[in-house]
Amino acid sequence: MSSNLRKTCKNKLKKIMATNPMHQFEVYRIGPEIKIGEIDLSFTNASLFMVISSLAILVVFNLGSKKNSLLPSKIQLLAELSYTFVSKMISDTAGSKAKPYFAFIFSLFMFVLFCNMFGMIPYAFTVTSHIIVTFMLASFIFISVTIIGFIKHGVGYLKLFVPSGVPVILLPLIVVIEIISYLSRPISLSVRLFANMMAGHTMMKVFGGFVISLGIVGGWLPLSFSVALTGLEILVAFLQAYVFAILTCIYLNDALNLHH
Amino acid sequence: MPKNSFKTRLEIAKNKLSKRNLYKDQQPTSSIGTAFKMSTELVAHVVVGTIIGFILDKTFGTKPWLILIFFFVGVIAGIANVFKSAKNMQK
Repeated sequence: MSSNLRKTCKNKLKKIMATNPMHQFEVYRIGPEIKIGEIDLSFTNASLFMVISSLAILVVFNLGSKKNSLLPSKIQLLAELSYTFVSKMISDTAGSKAKPYFAFIFSLFMFVLFCNMFGMIPYAFTVTSHIIVTFMLASFIFISVTIIGFIKHGVGYLKLFVPSGVPVILLPLIVVIEIISYLSRPISLSVRLFANMMAGHTMMKVFGGFVISLGIVGGWLPLSFSVALTGLEILVAFLQAYVFAILTCIYLNDALNLHH
Repeated sequence: MPKNSFKTRLEIAKNKLSKRNLYKDQQPTSSIGTAFKMSTELVAHVVVGTIIGFILDKTFGTKPWLILIFFFVGVIAGIANVFKSAKNMQK
């Protein structure tokens, strides 16, 4: 009797797990547990997909730059197009002074783009739907841009917080507001990417669940909706990588060309 | 003569390219990107203001006051930021 009950409970739990839209975001360990002190350094599915997307970037760009034929092959075209796309984006938003940081912004854009795009494959894990990953990327950008600003301008970088042409009475409030805006950069940068990816993937799972629960009679409507959502999600995956990279360029522009 | 004609053609092409760039500068990101940017920045300003107030409250022991003040300062900063981006969009 009790074993029967347990079985039905387990089956129900399995059904809930299958239709639970948040189940896709679960991080689990692959392989042995690695612990250094209190820190858990085990290899998880998140790290697996990071490795896969970095390897994919390496493979695509190595193949693309191997043969420099005048009439480019498809993969060479892809590599060259993405190169010109990012270099144009940098020169448009941050100017010629930002050229030395091309390698960093290019790899950042490609990493976010490939992680987002790998997440669109069914059963794949979306690395960028975890806030700790995006926050780590964003805080790295924030700290390095701050360091670059202090190296380029010294203490004068603090002028960023004091806009010109403000009456003295309002100055304390304005300075506090400017400091809050500066500190909110990593948070808005990371939350934007994370929220977009997580919301989109949850919505796709929810509509997929509707298809199953409504069956062959009523399932066609959510099915067509989820086809449309897939297209939208691919757009969002590209757009968010683009926005992430372009905002990095804008922050870099603030650090390089101080114009307050 | 052929060299000259090439040069003039190059000039015309460059002019066209620079015009296209000028047009593109007016709308650097797509509108959906700007919408996401503004909404998350508004929230982020409020969150950062509140966090600063919370930390200052803890260090000075003035429990409810600084968090309240900095929450509203964060709201002001967020709204001011939206106004700034809207002004930039209208340029």
